[in-house]
Amino acid sequence: MNALTRIFRRLEGPQTLGRGPFFWVGFLVVLVGACAYPLLSDGYTVGNTVYFFTWIFMALGLCLIWGYGGSLSFGQTAFFGIAGYGYGILTINFGAAYGFTFVALVLAMALAALFAALLGYFLFFGRISGVFLGIVTLSVTLVLERFMAQTAGPEWRIGSARLNGFNGMSNMPPLTIPWPGGDIVLFPDVQLYYVVLGLLVVVYLALRILVNSPFGNVLVAIRENPERAEMLGYDIRKYQLGTFVIGAALAGLSGVLYTSWGQYITPSSMGMTAAALPIVWVAVGGRSDLTTTLIGTLTVLAVFQALTIYGSQYALVVMGAMLVLTVLLAPSGLILALARLIARPFAKRQPGDA
Amino acid sequence: MPLLETRALNKRFGGLHVTNNVDLVLKTGEVHCLIGPNGAGKSTLFRLILGEHLPSSGSILFGGEDITALKPFQRIRRGMSVKFQVPGIFKALSVRQNLEIAMQHHYEPATLGDEIGRLLDFLNLSVDAERLAGNLSHGQKQWLEIGMAISLKPRLLLLDEPTAGMSPEETHATGEMVKRLNAEGMTVLAVEHDMAFVRQVADQVTVLHLGGVFAQGSIDDIVADERVAAIYLGQSTAHATAHEQPGGVHA
Amino acid sequence: MDVGTLAFSALYQFGDAFAFLVLSACGLAVIFGMMGVINLAHGEFIMCGAYVTVSAAHAGLPLPLAIAIGAVVSGLVGALVEILVIRHLYERPLDTIVATWGLSLIGTQGTLILLGSTMAGVGTPFGSFQIGAYSYSVYRLVLFVMAVVVLAGLYALFNWTRFGVMARATIQVPHMAAALGVDTRLVYSLTFALGAGLAGLAGGLYAPTMTLVPTMGTTFIMEAFVTVVVGGADVFLGTAPAAAVLAVVKAAMTSWYGQLAGQIGLLIAVIIVIRVLPRGISGFLLRERV
Repeated sequence: MNALTRIFRRLEGPQTLGRGPFFWVGFLVVLVGACAYPLLSDGYTVGNTVYFFTWIFMALGLCLIWGYGGSLSFGQTAFFGIAGYGYGILTINFGAAYGFTFVALVLAMALAALFAALLGYFLFFGRISGVFLGIVTLSVTLVLERFMAQTAGPEWRIGSARLNGFNGMSNMPPLTIPWPGGDIVLFPDVQLYYVVLGLLVVVYLALRILVNSPFGNVLVAIRENPERAEMLGYDIRKYQLGTFVIGAALAGLSGVLYTSWGQYITPSSMGMTAAALPIVWVAVGGRSDLTTTLIGTLTVLAVFQALTIYGSQYALVVMGAMLVLTVLLAPSGLILALARLIARPFAKRQPGDA
Repeated sequence: MPLLETRALNKRFGGLHVTNNVDLVLKTGEVHCLIGPNGAGKSTLFRLILGEHLPSSGSILFGGEDITALKPFQRIRRGMSVKFQVPGIFKALSVRQNLEIAMQHHYEPATLGDEIGRLLDFLNLSVDAERLAGNLSHGQKQWLEIGMAISLKPRLLLLDEPTAGMSPEETHATGEMVKRLNAEGMTVLAVEHDMAFVRQVADQVTVLHLGGVFAQGSIDDIVADERVAAIYLGQSTAHATAHEQPGGVHA
Repeated sequence: MDVGTLAFSALYQFGDAFAFLVLSACGLAVIFGMMGVINLAHGEFIMCGAYVTVSAAHAGLPLPLAIAIGAVVSGLVGALVEILVIRHLYERPLDTIVATWGLSLIGTQGTLILLGSTMAGVGTPFGSFQIGAYSYSVYRLVLFVMAVVVLAGLYALFNWTRFGVMARATIQVPHMAAALGVDTRLVYSLTFALGAGLAGLAGGLYAPTMTLVPTMGTTFIMEAFVTVVVGGADVFLGTAPAAAVLAVVKAAMTSWYGQLAGQIGLLIAVIIVIRVLPRGISGFLLRERV
């Protein structure tokens, strides 16, 4: 029991809004609901729901970098794409037997993290911050998109994997769990749903522990006042770089899951429009909190999906408008503003706090 | 052995010679005040010691070690701590969290909570512990930052105009606190305008003028020095209220 | 091939790259330098200028006039955007970027909805000329001249006109400028409109050389971004020298390995430059003058 309370304590703290018994009961209810959901639905719909889930990792990573750390990383899609292509290249070359797809998942995430470490070294140790960080990271993803878009020729192959230019890479195997008596292939269906849901719960809780740890304390300190953080003896560059790498790995996880979900990836997943979407999810949800980011991402994706029946360009116009309006009217995020509104009657007001 | 020593320290910004051959010696255990008219180079010297600027030439020794090339955070880890003139606090975080961020690597996790409680009491901020630091009064913000600075248990405490914007009573209370910290073994270097404060706390006073050391000695020596009075009188503005703009060189 | 034609070829490549970088970046740089705001809808203002220019040319107007109209319309749209959105975010420059990204999405996708996925262009005027074994486009030389004219025009505007003096006063000490009776809101509106107009001008000038698609802005923004990052906050001490340096990199890489290598070279150059000169070239040049 003692160990359990200790773990719970580490999940809570000033850096996360949801806390106390009410929140965790709610969390369990939602989790049970999420677990029961496939029983109430058909495999095809469940498979489509997984599609929503695959994006959340990237959103949570951006929330960590941008919302908690205060660094504008506008190029998360670069890591998404690198890991997605990495997964494709590895699995097309080495197949899916013996659980290799999960090795490929880890390697692809590591590749994205390594790229982020290299890029981040130059950026953070060059003391780039604010707007410049945003536009350099955005430039990186745009250049990657253009690079991949011109790999149409047959000379652009890695092993047996053709990069295939603008049309993208396809037909890589989905994630596969080795199993006695026949591997379980995780097509977009109920099995994949549970795997991704499990990953999501683990990542969400792990990030909660991270942001409420001393590391998370330093992270928000850097966001609030980098000079003061440094003058308390923290090497802020290392914290920023570490955060950047974690966020990139999470974007990479999204990339791998997305690629294995649809068995394809295209350069446009790293383009200007694709890069804008994580910003929309996180900003609309409320970037300074993991839970609001998660809820916001799901909400925005649902809205997007609902609008796509009129054509994706209409959905994207609405996304753009949502982003502008959020920044103008609820800079800390619509979901966060809503959560505050709901929580207000329950919260004890601190004297002097607005 | 001196705790802090600068040797022939120079800083030029283009043609401007802001710090001119400064040899400053801080003995362990003393309270040392740095005074001088506006534009004398106090803030630049302060920032050179902290590592926010790198000197054009010369060296800085801390505890006998050459720290000239070290980054600010490395200097802090070697036992410096600073309180800025404009309170450098984390405004959107609670008072308790501000202190936690400062203290988390200096105390065992098991005792951290108690230590924070003790410091909150010392700073008279216990009732305000859960308030956002940005919502504190100006004086409370100053105290919070002093609290963050001393919570690192530094060997050398650097104070940039610690009493700026304070009432005479608050100034006096701050002076008493500096004396108490000093009695506990902390060496203090303060840039200060308020001569009452300087008289209250200083063991040693250095007067800067035009970037160089103009005079040095006890407060009585300095007050008796007619040349010092002359450079102050040469200023048209009332130095007691004027504030040097920190970081003005960035403009 | 003799040295003369080789030299001309290299110079031509450089001039072409320089013009593209300067024209792409100057609108972004003016807004960033004066207001500290990075306008992520910059590419959409370029697109706007190109579309208006081509529409006007289709309507029978001569090309120079059409380009001027494109620039003016972009500038007006910029003024409108400033009044509706940017003005409310001056206290939060980082949020401004996010908001302008939203505008960029609206611009691109809205154009796609209203005008379809592509628009018939106009041909590149003036034809070409031959030196040695290679032929060169005359219009590219015109673009280089225009880049120089734009830089000179901006220099004149900011140094010799009343608007320029007010604008510089406003960026240096906003509250002081306001106290002296400068309408700082008007200055910001005009600056943003100027930046948008310059973007539109770039779009109009390059419209005859490229296919018109709603996403054409992305062709320009990467170059615009890196030029501003390398240049820093000053248009004259930053953007112009940065464009010159980057043009050498881009022209060299492009002539060796093609267009994409030029872009990758640019990006790598930028990442290395910011490691060495975090405040850009203008920060480096100005450092000694403080």
